Amino acid sequence: MTAYAEAVAADARADLDRPLLAPPRRTGTRRLPGTVAYHGLMIVVVALYILPVVWAFSMSLRTNANMFDADQLIPHPVTFEHYENLFRILPDFWRYFLNTSVIAVTGTLGTLVSSSLAGYAMARFRFAGRNVLLVLLLLTLMVPGQATLIPQYVWFRDLGWLNTPLPIIVPMLFGSAFASFFFRQFFLTLPRELEAAAAIDGAGPWRTFVQIIAPNSGPAFLALGLLTFVQLWNSFFVNSVYLTTQDSWVLTQALQSMVGRYNSQYGEIMAGVTLVSLPVIIGYLIFQRWIVRGIALSGLAN
Amino acid sequence: MSRETSRRGRRPVGALQRREARTAYLFVLPQVIGLVVFIGVPLVASLGYSFTHWDLIAPEPTLVGLDNWRALLEDPRIPAVLWNTVRFILLGTTSFLLFSMIAALVTFTPRRFVGLYRAVVFLPYVLSQIAVGVVWRWMFNTESGPITTALEAVGIPSPDWLLDPATAMLSIAIMTTWQGIGYGLTLFIAGLQGVPTPVIEAARIDGANAFQRFVRITLPLISPTVLFLTVTSLIGALQLFDPVVAMTSSGAGVAAAGGPDNSTRTIVLYMYNQLFNLNEAKSGLGYAAAIAWMLALLTFVITAVQFAIARRTVYYEGQDAGVPRLRRARKERTAR
Repeated sequence: MTAYAEAVAADARADLDRPLLAPPRRTGTRRLPGTVAYHGLMIVVVALYILPVVWAFSMSLRTNANMFDADQLIPHPVTFEHYENLFRILPDFWRYFLNTSVIAVTGTLGTLVSSSLAGYAMARFRFAGRNVLLVLLLLTLMVPGQATLIPQYVWFRDLGWLNTPLPIIVPMLFGSAFASFFFRQFFLTLPRELEAAAAIDGAGPWRTFVQIIAPNSGPAFLALGLLTFVQLWNSFFVNSVYLTTQDSWVLTQALQSMVGRYNSQYGEIMAGVTLVSLPVIIGYLIFQRWIVRGIALSGLAN
Repeated sequence: MSRETSRRGRRPVGALQRREARTAYLFVLPQVIGLVVFIGVPLVASLGYSFTHWDLIAPEPTLVGLDNWRALLEDPRIPAVLWNTVRFILLGTTSFLLFSMIAALVTFTPRRFVGLYRAVVFLPYVLSQIAVGVVWRWMFNTESGPITTALEAVGIPSPDWLLDPATAMLSIAIMTTWQGIGYGLTLFIAGLQGVPTPVIEAARIDGANAFQRFVRITLPLISPTVLFLTVTSLIGALQLFDPVVAMTSSGAGVAAAGGPDNSTRTIVLYMYNQLFNLNEAKSGLGYAAAIAWMLALLTFVITAVQFAIARRTVYYEGQDAGVPRLRRARKERTAR
């Protein structure tokens, strides 16, 4: 990459790195009662959001005798018996973990590759049918997944793919309308100078995309990748259609199966909730900024 | 100089342009295949299946003409599931939009800790609806759940929440609202950031009070965000499934969800049960396809109506209806 391209890229990055939801500077002075009322309200709201999460985690560590005691927010004594029981009830728990990871990782990577290519072409190249494709993609956002599910179910059944992750992964390898549109919107914000600089270097369109555009689009790939990953990790409906044998399950299905059968065993259920949610919570704490940016950018479709 | 060569109309025409188009087609090829194979063809095939009867056991579906569609009109459960969906929209979608807007307005002004408050409210959005639903199922537990306990502690008789057909859908709506506000808030904040402060200031100087400033200036300026969130949340509401399963299933898993008394059975839940012949009198893949197509038609009509209303009420700056904010940002950057 030439120094010029480097400079242009840095300029673009500086703009993208501006935290989208970070509050601007405080201005002026405020009246004290208003401030107290504001923070008082916010503390109530934060409690409404934190308590259910903490409570669920806390229940997973309580003894059965203490399960419903209000003063057990910090469990005493702490017990791990519910986690042990959970692995007894669902001995294949790590298998569900693996199944979920395989679907989430490959689905996310496939979507990123196919949709970034499509989004780039729609943002930068001129070709017959570009606007038609764009309109079709936008119309697709309105088509409920259920309306395309049934024939796919029949095909995948005939292919012998039921109870494998393939019916969920394979369509994702061909991109998603939302992701392609998201990438198009993003690439439109990149300066044309990037391509111009690459052209001076003699790079063709593929090399330009792989070596110049993609490396300078980290925020977009990260934001959309995280969104897609979280969505796949959490999904239930599609999995419950295709994955019916117990060893092909994903985590959400395993968790759901406990609710039906072990309704009163709250310790075990909350242990399940904790284990299913923990990876996303950790991911959220690390990547919060990028996930929120992805959401905010996705709204720009309007 | 580099900008000059990339301007429209300045490019050499002919071979180079054909090459650009050829490259473009290769770039979009996977997405186009996906669009055709996994959306276009199945959508048409689904309509085809809606004219057949198939229990998935017989080798071939049998053609039954309009039977499924006639059954759809006569099935008393269809108005019931549609009414359940309408109740969810009135309770859940409305409160989602309203509270997201309020939360955005309250946390828009820069104050200490505001970033933390937003981050906390956003957290449940990344969690699975199944996990959140399971926790809220406990919250609504009438024997020892925290909500009932808290209400009784202050002397308010607690409703039976998920056990009462009158309040079960409300319970689900409370859960989805709680989970979704962080998302709505984020989009509204992004919208509010596009509102120029001088305009608001001018209105303030002209004597407009906070309510007038919001209704006359802020709301019209963020109307594209309102439209986007209304359209997408309504599409989501029509497909409600996961929270209902997590909060109402008993014993036999998905098939037994939708209670009590079918008061939370949704369109997709009913379709799912038809597809797999679970506990339903009138069953089969063909009928499920008809229900799925009814859902698609409903979605199209509702979305079209919203865009028709939006045509008169939504304000796009410079009438650049496609991608106003991003394009403007780019213009500003290239102008520098």
